[in-house]
Amino acid sequence: MPSKVKPRLSRGVLDMKFMQRTKKKVEKEADDEQSRALYSNEINEKMINSSSNFIVESSYSICEGLIDGRLSFRGMNPEIELLMEQELAEKRAHSKPEQPKEVSDKDMAKAYYANKAPTVTNSMAKKFSSKKNFKRKQHGDDQARSPGYHPKTKQQFKKPREDDD
Amino acid sequence: MSSSGTIVMPGERISAIEEVAKSKRVILGPGLRRLDDTVVASKAGPLRHKEPNTFWVDNYQRRYVPARGDLVLGIVKAKAGDQYRVDIGSADLASISYLSFEAATKKNRPDLNPGDLIYARVLVASADVEPELVCVNSNGKRGKLGQLADGFFFKCSLNLGRVLLRENCPALAALTRRLPYEIAVGVNGRIWLKAHSLRETIALTNAILALEQAGYAEIDKVCDNLEDFLQA
Repeated sequence: MPSKVKPRLSRGVLDMKFMQRTKKKVEKEADDEQSRALYSNEINEKMINSSSNFIVESSYSICEGLIDGRLSFRGMNPEIELLMEQELAEKRAHSKPEQPKEVSDKDMAKAYYANKAPTVTNSMAKKFSSKKNFKRKQHGDDQARSPGYHPKTKQQFKKPREDDD
Repeated sequence: MSSSGTIVMPGERISAIEEVAKSKRVILGPGLRRLDDTVVASKAGPLRHKEPNTFWVDNYQRRYVPARGDLVLGIVKAKAGDQYRVDIGSADLASISYLSFEAATKKNRPDLNPGDLIYARVLVASADVEPELVCVNSNGKRGKLGQLADGFFFKCSLNLGRVLLRENCPALAALTRRLPYEIAVGVNGRIWLKAHSLRETIALTNAILALEQAGYAEIDKVCDNLEDFLQA
């Protein structure tokens, strides 16, 4: 019978200095195999590839979303009340109520397309045009533009206006 | 949180949850068990549901079963080497290392003696080992945890503790309309109270214990009457 057994390196070879890493690997493989053999009758296919939709949570506090039970009212313990206030503020910040908009979505879109969108669409169009097109386009553009225009002026970040925020 | 009135009994199969689980993930709280694809109740009581997908059984119980993350009140029972043994009402005494207090070092031990009360978080809760507590958060800060000095301590059912700790529970707010007080409620059914005078403390205790039998629905009504207890 052709041997099914994997060829193994002898111990003499594995003990050599330059084989230390291989030795570790071989040992780990043997270990894994052993543990798999040990539990093979306990673990079945279902346990390995089952994806359950159930999460078990044994704590009431997490299930019900209970608050911390250490409370103080009307200045009985200022230290605790400070912590309670901080917690409350944090919670408020998380569920921030929608701030009233100064500019409506429609106005924003209108202004955006009026000011900015052309440049954006140009640069996106550039991405999809072939190299040949790109060159020709640039030439065409150069001719069309005034002589004082340098297409390669370096773009820089500008200091934001102070009233922006 | 819906307080639908379905009462489940141990061993009862709950197909409503199984239906939900087919489409999305479901969190099974205490009192529910999963057997392969079936969900079975293991306690008797009303089945509760919290949006979006949490289910649990809200049974009446006085024995605390430790769960990781719970905030509990404990009584120090003994010093044992570098640990304190703490009674938190569970089957086993809990342990807390003397290093798990704020600013504690090997030299600077916290001054805790048998009989002291602490408010602590359950760090390890397993069926096989004793529960372990801590009195600091992950930043090493005390926060709201630690020793509770003075005050008055009493026990109640686990349900009452949970009722008081629900978000937007009207009870504690109703009490403070009359009196300033300080309170520590553990989910292990233990409450510590501190008010300015003995009379006030007793009144508050009676008022809180009057809520024992109140359901979610009646609680508002009972809260209106709490002031009667305070006057008595």
